Amino acid sequence: MKAIKELYQYREMLKNLVRKDLRTRYKGSFLGFLWTFINPLLQLLVYTVIFTTIMRLDIDNYSMFLFVALLPWNFFSTSLMIGTGSIVNNKELIKKIYFPREIIPISVVTSGFVNLILSFVIVFIALFISGIGITPAIVCLPVVLVVIYVMTLGFTLLFSALNVYFRDLEHILEIGTMAWFYLTPIVYKLDMIPARFLKLFFMNPMTPIIQAFRDILYYGIVPDFTVLGINHLAAGMLLVVFGHLVFQRLQKNFAEEI
Amino acid sequence: MELINASDVWKSFRIYHDKGSTLKERVLFRSRNRYEERWVLKGVNLHVEQGESVGLLGENGSGKSTLLKLLTRIIYPNRGTIDVQGKVSSLLELGAGFHPDLTGRENIYMNASIFGLSKQEIDRKLSEIIAFSELAPFIDTPVRTYSSGMYMRLAFSVAINVNADILLIDEILAVGDVNFQKKCFDRLKDLKKRGTTIVIVSHDLSSIQKICDRAVWLEDGSIQATGGTTRVIDQYMQFMNRKQEATLKEEQAREQEQHRGKSAEETEGDADREKPESDPNCWGGKEVEITSVRMRNADGEQKYSFEYGEPVCIEIGYIRHREMEGYVFGIGISNSDGVPCYGTNTSIDGRKIKVLDSRGKVSFHIDRITLVEGKYELDAASHAEDGRAYDYRKNIYEFAVTSSVKDTGIARQEHQWIIK
Repeated sequence: MKAIKELYQYREMLKNLVRKDLRTRYKGSFLGFLWTFINPLLQLLVYTVIFTTIMRLDIDNYSMFLFVALLPWNFFSTSLMIGTGSIVNNKELIKKIYFPREIIPISVVTSGFVNLILSFVIVFIALFISGIGITPAIVCLPVVLVVIYVMTLGFTLLFSALNVYFRDLEHILEIGTMAWFYLTPIVYKLDMIPARFLKLFFMNPMTPIIQAFRDILYYGIVPDFTVLGINHLAAGMLLVVFGHLVFQRLQKNFAEEI
Repeated sequence: MELINASDVWKSFRIYHDKGSTLKERVLFRSRNRYEERWVLKGVNLHVEQGESVGLLGENGSGKSTLLKLLTRIIYPNRGTIDVQGKVSSLLELGAGFHPDLTGRENIYMNASIFGLSKQEIDRKLSEIIAFSELAPFIDTPVRTYSSGMYMRLAFSVAINVNADILLIDEILAVGDVNFQKKCFDRLKDLKKRGTTIVIVSHDLSSIQKICDRAVWLEDGSIQATGGTTRVIDQYMQFMNRKQEATLKEEQAREQEQHRGKSAEETEGDADREKPESDPNCWGGKEVEITSVRMRNADGEQKYSFEYGEPVCIEIGYIRHREMEGYVFGIGISNSDGVPCYGTNTSIDGRKIKVLDSRGKVSFHIDRITLVEGKYELDAASHAEDGRAYDYRKNIYEFAVTSSVKDTGIARQEHQWIIK
């Protein structure tokens, strides 16, 4: 409780770190902040070209099918990767001055999250152009966004603290997220998974989250909230609490270990 | 009210000989994970009341900066508890979180927010911070275009203007030019007056004297003395003098050892005792050889460090190898920059020496040594009345003068100030 109060006191720092990250990420490049939009746009272009001309799959509008799942995944994996190294990479700050250390991984996840939300502008435009359009199911989107944010935050808090003591984690995670990517129904449909493995796939917390994004945006239907809303939000929250506890225990030696 | 309450604080650092931080290294080379546990603080108690200013003194490596870091919560103690209440601003490392691409103004927001200020609080403080830094014309240009002095000024201005309850400072007054330093100093006094609690680590004892109500002297991780600033500084100074004395003695002994070794060789090889070619600090025909040079205090003890105003006696031992027409003994003192500070001889002072025992001692008595604080070298010589050297020993003795008064120059002029 005290930790939350302190985090609230340092909210301005969080805000500034997020703003700094968004502003300086593309600093020096000609198009600057526009890259936030151009990047997903170009990704979409590449997928469209590949999956409509070379690798033709039996899925309608495959590039959109992929795109709506890929963006949230990218948010998750990049936040996790950058966040895991974030404590070590910010050693200058951590060695110099006191502040609640959680601010750093939180800011990484948050700035990635802001980026995700901004890139949804491109998603919506693409949905209209491709003729899929938007259905009332869109109102569920904020809930799914909250779930993915909480889940990502939980993992990132945990890994960022562990990485200080165990630097291999960064490299393990690099290959780990790749495997995780293919074990989540992003490039393929959920019903392509053999039935006997389906249960296993749902133990992957990202499966229902990614599926929910696809349900809302691609299929235009309301996702199954019994799994997602209740189980995952609760699991995500628990993960954040657990991650934070571990973080709290480990953070005392950060300044000496990095 | 007690704002800082540190009781029985122990802190150790692990000094790894060869640290492996990857799994492979940790598992495969278990033996490499050997480390040494170095205790930097050994059961320190520090209690600071609201509005008090405390100075931490101690040699390098005595643990004072570690203690300060513990108070900021950058690191945590192994044992003991530290309870700090109120908002802490630390001037340990200035400019935390400055980003070179952001403007001065943006960096103020960034930096101040790291101290835990909200947007409104920073808005209120902004103009004061800019005014204090004297960087108004440059405040909207990126910080990477700043000179290092400007950078530090901006950083200092933020740190000192965040309205902290507790200010922790490590070697502050190295920021900016003389005027800015003065301004910082005045600001500190002002904050102190307004009830800010201050803890300072500094080697500059005079600034501690000026700001602090109380001083704590740390030695090798434990508190050696605590109490009124002047008293503790005195104790600390005395301790440091004794220590300097010991090192100078050691140096002298080593030099003499070397010298003895050399001259022993020479006497063996060269019975005529000609001046050693290799020693540029020693020349002359050795008709009257200087055998020893010592400096003694009032009690006749040989010393290498003297308090300002103390009586000093320079004692020159000699052996006369040949009878000459006249004899002159002289001394010369120069400071560590090689600037001659004082020199005289028996001839200048009107003491004619026509006859000299075959061996004996010449002493030069100084009633009160009036050299300013510093390190000095002593020359001693015996020579003929026409100035030709019998034996000239340059820099034969090294000594130090310590003083609580920080006047400058070479020697103090007896003086008083009269203001009408």
